[in-house]
Amino acid sequence: MWTKDQTTLLAAILDLIIPASADGRVPGAGQLGVAGFLPKATPYAPDPVGAAKTVMAFVQAREDFAELDSDEKVEVLKLAEAAAPEAFATLVRLTYMGYYSRPNTRPLFGVGAHPVHPLGYEVLRESEDVLAELTAPVRERGPIYRDPTKKSAL
Amino acid sequence: MKNDPVDVLIIGAGASGAAIAWSLLETRMRILCLEQGPHLADKDFPSRRDDYELARFAEFSCDPNVRGLPQDYPINADHSCITPVNFNAVGGSTINFLGHWPRMKPSDFKTRSLDGVAEDWPVDYETLAPFYDMNDQTTGVSGLGGNPAYPDYKPPLPPIPIGTLGRTLAKGFNDMGWHWWPSDVSILSQDDNGRQKCVNAGTCDLGCAAGAKGGTNFTYWPMLENAGVELRTHARVREILVDPATGFATGVLYHGSDGQVHEQKAELVVVACNGVGTPRLLLNSTSSAFPDGLVNRSGMVGKNLMFHPLTGVAGVFDEPMKGHEGPMACAILSQEFYETDPNRDFVRGYGLHSGRSTTPMTYALGGYGIDAPIPWGAEHREIMDGVYPYLAGLTVVSEDLPEEHNRVTLDPDLTDSDGIPAPKIAYRMGENTRRMLRHGEERAAEVLLAAGAKRVLGKGDDAVWWRAGWHQMGTCRMGNDPETSVVNGWGRSHDVKNLFIVDGSIFVTAGAVNPTSTIQALALYIGDCIKTNIETLFD
Repeated sequence: MWTKDQTTLLAAILDLIIPASADGRVPGAGQLGVAGFLPKATPYAPDPVGAAKTVMAFVQAREDFAELDSDEKVEVLKLAEAAAPEAFATLVRLTYMGYYSRPNTRPLFGVGAHPVHPLGYEVLRESEDVLAELTAPVRERGPIYRDPTKKSAL
Repeated sequence: MKNDPVDVLIIGAGASGAAIAWSLLETRMRILCLEQGPHLADKDFPSRRDDYELARFAEFSCDPNVRGLPQDYPINADHSCITPVNFNAVGGSTINFLGHWPRMKPSDFKTRSLDGVAEDWPVDYETLAPFYDMNDQTTGVSGLGGNPAYPDYKPPLPPIPIGTLGRTLAKGFNDMGWHWWPSDVSILSQDDNGRQKCVNAGTCDLGCAAGAKGGTNFTYWPMLENAGVELRTHARVREILVDPATGFATGVLYHGSDGQVHEQKAELVVVACNGVGTPRLLLNSTSSAFPDGLVNRSGMVGKNLMFHPLTGVAGVFDEPMKGHEGPMACAILSQEFYETDPNRDFVRGYGLHSGRSTTPMTYALGGYGIDAPIPWGAEHREIMDGVYPYLAGLTVVSEDLPEEHNRVTLDPDLTDSDGIPAPKIAYRMGENTRRMLRHGEERAAEVLLAAGAKRVLGKGDDAVWWRAGWHQMGTCRMGNDPETSVVNGWGRSHDVKNLFIVDGSIFVTAGAVNPTSTIQALALYIGDCIKTNIETLFD
């Protein structure tokens, strides 16, 4: 789908949208290969590739983009966002979708990599004693609903 | 496709259609249900896929305008601050609802008498209480008895875990001296009646592949089909027919799975299409006797649309809240501010519902039902690493008062895939609701801080959640006066005596709780009234 040059440029853009963590523990979106998700993203946006190409074209216009430092690249991307807000918003949204739909990214945020059914998560039910202790102050106040059959109604 | 006349024709296989079918089973009448959607197998629910979250933004979106499936009808919500959401399949919106199951309260049925607003219902809490109990038993409801916010009742199953998040928030409410209680949920806390208990997957909106959530696809429909109730899927009703000579409904015209229009005759027609689908169908059923839509002599069909406008506040805590573990919406519920207090600048009230924090993609895209992605760039990294895992939120669910200008009409241009006019929503939130939401946001922030949040994140604007239109009520309201209501106190239309409406459209007021429990209790009550009055039903 993408040429080699396009892949390189797109990966650089995606790494700015979702950067890697400073310690390298969490990869950026480009690094993770989210570019490959975009051509398959038609159920989520009418023209995902078109949106990416619009943003890429704007960035490419800055011929020295690859040589810029990270902050300067972010500034270029902000200009792209201002110039083509719709395409940019689509690219951001799809980047998030492509990135977080990968099972291997979920554990980085404390969520299981597995499909949630049938395994789910083990969460212990609070014991009756724990619930009784927690709800004691609430029960001590007595009823708080209005009874329409009573004049005072509370 | 056989279209022999039936005794009872139910339109819609969701919450209310299933409940009334179950109630009428013992009459041994021949019952047919027409459902525009398919019968989905739970093995096909997206939560069994690696990329399950993506489905939330396409074929399993709660928004029919996003799904755009052949069985869906588009909804024009250009003139509304909230768009209706739903699901079209056997089970209806109980396929992707979140299973929160609070009852309405005694005062909800008497708002005119108590607070001078809206109208009183022609039924009351005490009348519905046995039907709430019956429905809880059939559905499999988990919760803790003894909630002081209600007259005494006890859910049949013990509560689901409230988890780290619920316990943390509960301590905050206790510190404030405010009411809270483990939520009643139609989610199994233990195996029950051949159904598996909840596995805490946190994807209730994607269809519960465990069968733990009490969607009617898992509760009523298996029993109904075993008992011989006919369920015809991919059958979209276009129009209800009325005999001009007798004034009685004779049946319906529907688009079948073969692409053809069929006539289905019936002795009794029950409409169960929700607060948007029902007025849509009635308004599309015009005749010389009903030029403005069926059973619309009062002019009330489609008017008084009520939602539950929502907003949310989240706290960032020191420890991970594990918000993705457990049913999506249900941990604890505070009804401290539910009843009218003359010291506040609004009437009626709201609930504070603990919301879990969903999964990473949904959070990054703005949260469930919200299109507002979090920032990109370095800030994105900071939020996902330093905020997302530590979040616990509260949703402010406000009562919406009926206002005639909030309404469902037919769109002159937009249609569904069968060419039937689509509904058009005109809705604006009242000032009373705005004040209530503002009050709720402030109280939510206070309790989050009391619970130990190191900071509180609000939306910082006056907007409500766009996809908050789960609860569609009031558009064919009940009442004793045919001039101001569409159906009587037991769901029979004033204008056509063999036509009943049983869904949320017949609500007179909205309360400030999720309505499905009440919708089904009401459907069971109406079924009971039909059986009780069977000899003189059409008099």
